[in-house]
Amino acid sequence: MPLTETGLKQPVKANEKDLLKINMPVIPDDQKVEVALKHLNELGEKFRSLMLTFESCVKCGACAENCHTYLGTRDPYNIPANRADLLRKVYKRYFTPEGKFFPGLIGAKDLELEDLEKMYSYFYQCNECRRCSLVCPFGLDTCEATMAGRQLLHWLGMVPKLHASVGAAMAKTGNHTGLPKAATVDTCEFLEEDIMDEIGVDIKIPVDKPADILYIPSSADFMLNPNTMTGAAKFFHYLGVNWTISSEIVEAGNFGLLFDQRATLRANCMRVIDEALKLGIKKVVWGECGHGWRAGKMYLPGMLDRPGRIPIVHIHDEVAYYIEKGALKLNPDSITRPVTLHDPCNFGRACNMCDTLRKVMNASVSNFVEMTPNRERNFCCGGGSAILFDDPEMYDLRIKFSAKKAEQVRATGVDKDGEGILCAPCSICKAQLYPMVEEHKLGVEVKGLIDLVGLSLYPVKHD
Amino acid sequence: MAFIEVSGQQIEVDEDGFLLNPDTWTEDVAKYFCKEEGIDELNDDHWKVIKYLRDYFFQFGIAPMVRKLCKDTGFSLKGIYELFPTGPAKGACKLAGLPKPTGCV
Repeated sequence: MPLTETGLKQPVKANEKDLLKINMPVIPDDQKVEVALKHLNELGEKFRSLMLTFESCVKCGACAENCHTYLGTRDPYNIPANRADLLRKVYKRYFTPEGKFFPGLIGAKDLELEDLEKMYSYFYQCNECRRCSLVCPFGLDTCEATMAGRQLLHWLGMVPKLHASVGAAMAKTGNHTGLPKAATVDTCEFLEEDIMDEIGVDIKIPVDKPADILYIPSSADFMLNPNTMTGAAKFFHYLGVNWTISSEIVEAGNFGLLFDQRATLRANCMRVIDEALKLGIKKVVWGECGHGWRAGKMYLPGMLDRPGRIPIVHIHDEVAYYIEKGALKLNPDSITRPVTLHDPCNFGRACNMCDTLRKVMNASVSNFVEMTPNRERNFCCGGGSAILFDDPEMYDLRIKFSAKKAEQVRATGVDKDGEGILCAPCSICKAQLYPMVEEHKLGVEVKGLIDLVGLSLYPVKHD
Repeated sequence: MAFIEVSGQQIEVDEDGFLLNPDTWTEDVAKYFCKEEGIDELNDDHWKVIKYLRDYFFQFGIAPMVRKLCKDTGFSLKGIYELFPTGPAKGACKLAGLPKPTGCV
């Protein structure tokens, strides 16, 4: 059901059964407000970053024209300051002296059930891309309000079915798509044959082997992005390292970052380290997943309850390192189609990866065209934080959220002969952009960066 | 929970209209779903894809990688989209009575 009684656009919510699978009890409607206020107080006391966002925003509006969701919909609640205000005005009402005594004067508001429904609608229209934070003159991370809002909603049992299903699949199989071990092994064997057919080289994708390197692929690579998995296999094979994937961790993503930054985020972090210890791993190499790498790089070390002694690196940084060392002989002339790069928000604005992406790109292809703006100023693909909903109302929003991206791609000119490549090195970006390049009629093929590395490392021979 | 009525049988579906239990599938279910997935009539090519998806699912517990589906059935990705306009992950899986794919897909 895309529409609520109030006419808000909302993704389908997880039902009681779905919630139980992610260990969440259902909070009855008549208790939701009371429970929400209790948790909002806790969040306020715990997170200074959230308080700063609540206290310091002066509604200057700098974020408005910098948010692609507002640019695509012109819905005033998609202005980041306004979206954060859904939570801010409630916080002020109950937890500040002026809000307690003069709520009307400072825009404070009593919390009602319909406010929670509105939060559910708009916090799941935010891509958590943090472009608003970049342009905020006070340096406020407005995304903290979305994250706190989603956390609060999660504790009230208001979670999208998509996110809850992913949480349940993770608990059951250790990955988001619900891939069991037999299917992982079967898919790897299929990809090995595929590589052999393509380039005539015998390259293995080891599963659950004791090894030096544990590669963490995105489970979406086993469904939609085969060239990202084979690209990584080609890279490790070329280096001659002892590597493996684990059937327990066929998942670079961590939806905990997106709906539950406590139990879910932590559990997914711990799983990686436990598995690495079990297999005697010396180094963990993360695959192409933007939010998952933010979780792995920026959250995992602080969330472990024990010293983290195994280095965790990203495959893009690994490739860049070996390019610099002169250990990879890439053949950029083998990829002559025009390529533009979409900087995934979590790589660009959260993980300092912009230079790395370009180093790898320039070494792999011969006709790279930057889109504008780029690097940390890039616009989100419109799928960020996995709002990949496909019920008609929400899908329509995804098209609107990606309008800015389409404009950027078109301006590069790479699409004009229908032969362009849009490199989007993140599974959420790919899942969003595969249909969006069709919706916006862009003449580009969406590919990952490691896909291009693989193609450039072992060019396909044409007879 | 919602139900669809196919050939006099009540069959349970989830919020997205996918079968809750793949064992409750019949050929009539595929025929029932085809209109909402933009398909006029199911031909031999549709049935080939549906049968392949179901066989793979019951062997491995999940839908196959899209490239494997294409290679094993002999259809290009474009061909699959021509058969199932809403795509392999959504349309084809739905007609085959498989659960809705989750994750970044």
